[in-house]
Formats: sequence, C-alpha cells, structure tokens
Amino acid sequence: MAPDDHSNSKQQGIDLPAPTSAPFVCAFGVTLIFSGIVTNWAVSILGFVLALVGAIRWWHEVLPDNQKECIPFQSERPIVKPKVGGVAHLMTADSPHRARLPMEIHPYGAGIKGGIAGGIVMAIIAGTWGVVSHGSVWYPVNILGSTILPTMQGDDAAQLAQWHTASFVFGILIHAIMSSLVGLLYGIILPMVPHFRLAFSAIAIPLMWTGLTWASLEVINPLLQNEINWLVFIGSQVGFGITCWFVVSRSERIGTMQNWSMLERIGVESPNVPPIGGDE
Amino acid sequence: MTALDHSGNPLRAKATFLGRMHEWVSTADHKKLGVMYVTTGLLFFLIGGLEATMMRWQLAVPDSSLLSPSDFNRLFTMHGTTMVFLVGMPILLGVANYIIPMQIGARDLAFPRLNAFGFWLFLFGGLLLYFSYFGAQGLYGMGSSPDVGWFAYAPLTERTYSRGHSTDYWILGLLVSSFGSIATGINLITTILTMRCPGMTLMKMPVMVWVMLIDAILIMIAMPPLAAAQVMLLFDRLMGAHFFDVQGGGSAILWQNLFWFFGHPEVYILILPAFAYVSEIIPVFCRKVIFGYPLMVAATVSIGFISLGVWVHHLFALGLSPMVNTIFMGSTMLIAIPTGLKMFNWVGTMIGGKIRFDTPMLFSTGFLALFLIGGLTGVMLSVVPFDWQVSDSYFVVGHFHYVLFGGLVFAIFAAIYYWFPKVTGKMLSETLGKWQFWLLFIGFNLTFGPMHVSGMLGMPRRIYTYHADRGWELWNMLSSIGVLVQIAGVTFFVWNVIQSLRKGKDAGADPWDGWTLEWATTSPPPEYNFEEIPKVYSCRPLWDLKHPEDPDWKYE
Ligand code: HEM
Ligand SMILES: [Cu+2]
Repeated sequence: MAPDDHSNSKQQGIDLPAPTSAPFVCAFGVTLIFSGIVTNWAVSILGFVLALVGAIRWWHEVLPDNQKECIPFQSERPIVKPKVGGVAHLMTADSPHRARLPMEIHPYGAGIKGGIAGGIVMAIIAGTWGVVSHGSVWYPVNILGSTILPTMQGDDAAQLAQWHTASFVFGILIHAIMSSLVGLLYGIILPMVPHFRLAFSAIAIPLMWTGLTWASLEVINPLLQNEINWLVFIGSQVGFGITCWFVVSRSERIGTMQNWSMLERIGVESPNVPPIGGDE
Repeated sequence: MTALDHSGNPLRAKATFLGRMHEWVSTADHKKLGVMYVTTGLLFFLIGGLEATMMRWQLAVPDSSLLSPSDFNRLFTMHGTTMVFLVGMPILLGVANYIIPMQIGARDLAFPRLNAFGFWLFLFGGLLLYFSYFGAQGLYGMGSSPDVGWFAYAPLTERTYSRGHSTDYWILGLLVSSFGSIATGINLITTILTMRCPGMTLMKMPVMVWVMLIDAILIMIAMPPLAAAQVMLLFDRLMGAHFFDVQGGGSAILWQNLFWFFGHPEVYILILPAFAYVSEIIPVFCRKVIFGYPLMVAATVSIGFISLGVWVHHLFALGLSPMVNTIFMGSTMLIAIPTGLKMFNWVGTMIGGKIRFDTPMLFSTGFLALFLIGGLTGVMLSVVPFDWQVSDSYFVVGHFHYVLFGGLVFAIFAAIYYWFPKVTGKMLSETLGKWQFWLLFIGFNLTFGPMHVSGMLGMPRRIYTYHADRGWELWNMLSSIGVLVQIAGVTFFVWNVIQSLRKGKDAGADPWDGWTLEWATTSPPPEYNFEEIPKVYSCRPLWDLKHPEDPDWKYE
C-alpha cells in the first residue's frame, strides 16, 4: 500500500499534529470575554488578551508549516487473521449469495382476501351476539357507526338496536376498510413469523388488539365502553384471526425478487439479461 | 518538523501527574478528546440525575415542602439544560470524535486543533452555566441558577420578570458551548467528506458514519439560529432592545418559533447518534449484515430533512390557525415513516440472526422497545386535538423521556459497552452489565410509564407540588420509587467502570468479532490509529479479511 503523506521517509513513525495548548487558552479567553458581561468588564479584557495570545500561538502552530510530532511505531501490530471454517449461509436455489428473510411471501391479494373473509366471519359472530343479547342484528354495526356519527353519540341500547341508514353505511365502510387493511398486514407479517403462525394470528394478535382498543377507548369514545361485551369482542377477533390465517396460508407462495437484477425486476427481456429467477 | 520529547510509550509511562495533565490539556488527538468529551458528559449525567432525584423526591407525596417553588424551578431548568446540552451533546460528539476517524480509516479529524478548541469551549460553557449557582447576581450578591425552563420562554426571560443575571448565565453558557458544537460539526463534515480511506465510497461507509454526517449537518443548520436568538435575548436584557418584550412591541411567539426551529432538530441531533450506535451493534451481535443498507441511508437523510420542518408541533397549544396546525401535524406524522422504516430494518437484521445477548446487544434491544413506545406517543402528540388535551402535562414528559432516556441513553450505554474495550483495552464486566441493564430497564419504566397516566389525568408538568385529592398520588409515588431502582442501576455502571479499569479482562484487538475498521487496530489504538492506511472493498472490510473465501465485495 502506498505510504500516505503523513508518514516520514524513514518509516519509523508517523507524523501527527504536535500537542499545543493554544486552543485551550483561546477557548478560555473566549469564555472569559462572555463571562465579563455578567461579572466585570475587566474579566472581558483579560479574556480578550488570553484569546488573542491563544490565537497567535495557534497561528504559529500552523503557519508557515504545521507543527508535527513523530510518533514511533508501537511494537504490537495487530493483523486480522482469516478464520478457519466456513460460514453457514441461508441459500436458495437461485441465490448466488446470502438470502434475505423472508425468502417467500404470500401475494398481497391473499392478505386482502383473508381480511375480507375474516371480516365476514367477524360480522357473523357480532351479528349473532346482537340478536342473542339485544334482539337486533343492527346493534353491533350501530356501535361502530356511532364512533364517528356525532348525532348517535348519546344513544342508549334501545336506540342502538334500531335500523339507522347512515350508521349502517359508515359502520360497514369502517369495517370493510379496517378488515382488508388488517388482512393485508396479516398477509405481509405471517411469512416473517418463524413458528406458531396460527397461534400468532388467532391468539396473540387478537389479544393485543383488544388490549389496545380497551385501553384507548376511554379516550376515543368513553360512552362506547359500556356498550361493548369484551368477551364477544375477543371472540370475533379470534374468528377473524383464524379465517384470515386460513385464507392467507392456503394461498400460493411466491419468491421475493431479492436476487433479481434491476432489469429483471422491471421486466426487461433481452438476451443480455441472465435469467436468474425471472423464468417462470 | 519538530519531534517533541514526550513521544513514545515508555517515556510516557514515567510522566508526572502534572505532565499527564499537560498532555491532556494540550492534546489534539481525536481519541483523547473523545474520551474527555464522554467522561465529562457522564459526570454531568450524574449531576443532572441528582437534580432529577431531588425533584422526584419532592413529588413523591402530595403537599410536600421539601423544596421551595423557586428551588424546584431552578432544578428542572438545570436538569433539562444539563441533559440536553451537557450530557447528550458531548457524548454524541465524543463518540463521533473517537470512532468516526477510525471507521473511515483516518488518523485524525480534518482540523485537530479546532477539535480541541471545540471541546474546551463546550467544557467552559458548561462550567459557566453552573457557575451561576455562585455568581448569578453578579459576583457580589448571593448566587442562584437559571429558572426559566430549558426552552426559556419569553416574556419570562425579560428583565421585568427575571431580575439578576441567572438568565444571562443560561444564555452565555449555552452560547459558548454551542460555538464549540458548531466547530465540531464542521470538523466532522469535512472529515467524513474528505478523509475516507481508499476504496471507501459513500455507499461503503458504515451506517454510523452516514448518520453522523447527517447529524453534523443538522448541528450546522440548527445551532446558529439558537445562538442568534440568544444574542437577541441578550440585547433585550442588557441593552434595552424589545425583540421578545411584548409590552415594548416585541413578540413572545417569535422566541417560541426561533427556539423550536432549533429545538426540534436538536432532539433529532440527539437521537440520530443513538440510531448510529445500534446500527453498528445489532448486525455484529446478530452475525448478519444490516438489513436494507440503502434504505437506512435514505431514511437517515429524509429524517434529517423532515426534522427541519416540524417545529410548530411544539406550538400547537398557541392558537395558530387551523391551516398551520394541520400542515405541521402532517409533517410531524411524516417523520414517523422513515423512523418506522429504521425500526423494521433493525428488526429485519435480527430476524434469522444468530443473536448473542451480550450487554451491548441487551441495551440495543432495550432501545428498540423503549424508543418504539416513545415514537408512538410522539405520533399521538402530533394529533392536534390530542395534543391540546395533554400538552404541557406529564404525558409529554413521559413521551420525551422514552425517546431521550429510553432511546438515547440506552443507546449510549450500548455504545459504551461496545467500544469501552477498544478505548481502554479492558472488557467491562458482563455480570455487572446485565445487572445494570435490568435495574435500569425496570426502574426506567417504573418512573416514566406512570407519567403517561398522571399526564392524562391532568397533572401539568413543572408544578412543584399538588394536592392529595387529584388521584395522582399513586402514579407519582411509583415514578419516585422507580428513581431508586435506576440509581441502583447507575451505581452498578459506575462500579463496573472503576472495577474494569483496574482489573478488567484484557480485550484484545477485536473482542466482538467486529467488521468495521476500528477493530483492525490494537486496543487501545496507537496515536496514529493505523500504521498503514487501510484499503477497503466493501461495507465490512474486516469480514472480507476474515473470510477471504466469501468476501462481501464480490456481491455488493
Ligand atoms: C415519531 C417521532 C416523534 C413525534 C411524532 C414527536 C412528536 C412530539 C410532539 C407533538 C411534541 C409536543 C408535545 C407538546 O409539548 O405538547 C413533542 C415533544 C417533545 N419531543 Fe417528540 N416526537 C417524536 C420523536 C422525538 C424524539 C426522537 C425526541 C428526542 C430524542 C423527542 C423529544 C421531544 C422532547 C424533548 C419534547 C418536549 C419538549 C418540551 O416541551 O420540553 N421526540 N414530540
Ligand atoms: Cu419536536
């Protein structure tokens, strides 16, 4: 390797900037200048003199030539040694080198489908509960609708059991959007969960989600708290989780494009592009 | 060229105490300066911690009269100012000072003497601030420290409301030390841009170097406006100007804008280095390359950029127009995207890795968990109506301690455990380290978790006491008990450092089987770092050397 400009010709050591107290003195002076404002002007004068002395010393350090100090080589010289034994790699058939996890994913569409299916199951569970406990299928959807319809905020159980067009529309809309987005998340996350995917979707996530809703409902919509049966809530989440897991995990798996070249990814077909993973 | 006499190790060992002092005072070596920065920062950390302990002691029970209201005001002002300017800043500059030149295969920063100048300005500025305890009324009266809060809102800082010199000390102390930070920021940028070793293109720099580059740029952009605002305030106080004096036609809102135009980038200046440390530590302890390097770089750059445009979220409760509030709500939420991306990349690095939970990794994992919570409460606060409810309450105190303590301080401890062996040649004890981690983790959550609750229950921040009938007692008691647990944790740390310096296990050059260039030299490194300037071919030069059969550069 080429000797760099710092080392001297005989290569017994390396030149580094010589120690100097100039920056210390100068910094102390500058501080005193400012301290004078709150103490006594004489302090500022002293500070100015010190800062000037420091600065002049500093200039002499660097002009006309940098002051240097030769540091002799130390005796101990570490060498980075090659390691014996290879390294285990995650490989796929088409990966020339390290593979990145996950190597296969579900198509995004599968997640959305799973979300919709899960949403339907959830609606059935909630509707059944509505009929059993309040004699009305509309009860659960009205609860959801009332979170954003100011006119319904104070409604009691009897009112919530009736048909409300607006609340039906908004309730279904919220439910559909939430279900498909959560389904999409499931679809993306599931391939990354190493084990127990069913338990993850049917137990862990529903419990966490319920906990979050339960804890934040007081802030979002305190009135709603009394209207919700938390056991049924958990039950419908579990229903969602199982259904979504079922739909997602039955979908085909596709490899990620991690080892494809940019040209392959954007679909350029040319004899110059070597087919790594692009040949379906 | 002058060869000075006190070079070379054998001679140095014989140096007298005064001689050694002189060596430290006159040094321009980035490693010595780095050590001084971090040591000073840790000492200030103990002082700031003591101040916090006194406040929590006062707040443990209702209607307590341990501290007077004005003492309490001084304590929270000095605590906040100390932790941000005299703990966070020096430690991040110190670690960068030490590690960055080594990681890019250089022998020093671009301007070694300016580097020393920056450190001394920081130190003297900090001492000037603390001198206010003795000198704040001018040398002749009884002293007292600043009491206007770390963001020193106008018109509280005007002469009418703040007599004596305490506020002037706040201004001058920070002004002097911010000159130092700006100088060091310039130094880091120049070093990173011009002194990388052969082969290290920008996209082959370790993630830490990228992050610190952006950090230094933020320092350069954010610090001067603060200095300018402080000089304006000084004019108000000493020369009768009226910039922030409402009665005199000035604007108090102007100060809020100027301060937070500095203040929000400042909190990102503080958290970016934490990102830098865990980005170095997690891959090494998971035995995997960092997940999504280019995205990591892109996220860093965009965080730096967006953080310059969100400051008004500190002003939501001011009554600005809905339009302004909405715009800044949007930009604030935007910043969660690159930040979340980083979280995913760290987790992505861990997934499938062969994880070793040594203390640096423990602290990094703790960082991930706690910073996640802090980030989420941040997003909650960015929602304007929610912010109106909890602004200036303990909820905000909970939020920023999760990001600054759970985020920055945990990452700093991770970094200390990771690089201490390089700096001193000795390992820190793993047993004591684990004790420290768990005590700190439990104590931290015990202290700052309940603050979210007391905040939602309406407890305002910065009150010196409260009545018993508010339902805040339990939460405050828990917070105060947590402090005791944290003190135990910090005691383990201090003990660990002292013990390990005296009789720690020898570290060797490369105790963690690392991949970046600092592990290619001895521990502690010679003054010139590398006898020959290394040449690199990939992001992980040491991997390439250790695995010639399977080097990274073939695939990058
Ligand atoms: C996801 C990212 C974040 C968001 C959305 C966010 C949002 C907010 C908002 C809206 C406030 C104002 C609350 C109020 O005063 O009413 C705030 C305060 C604060 N944040 Fe964050 N924040 C984020 C991350 C951070 C980080 C990374 C740090 C520092 C490391 C930080 C430090 C602070 C501090 C110190 C305050 C309080 C300042 C004070 O009033 O004294 N935040 N945050
Ligand atoms: Cu902010």
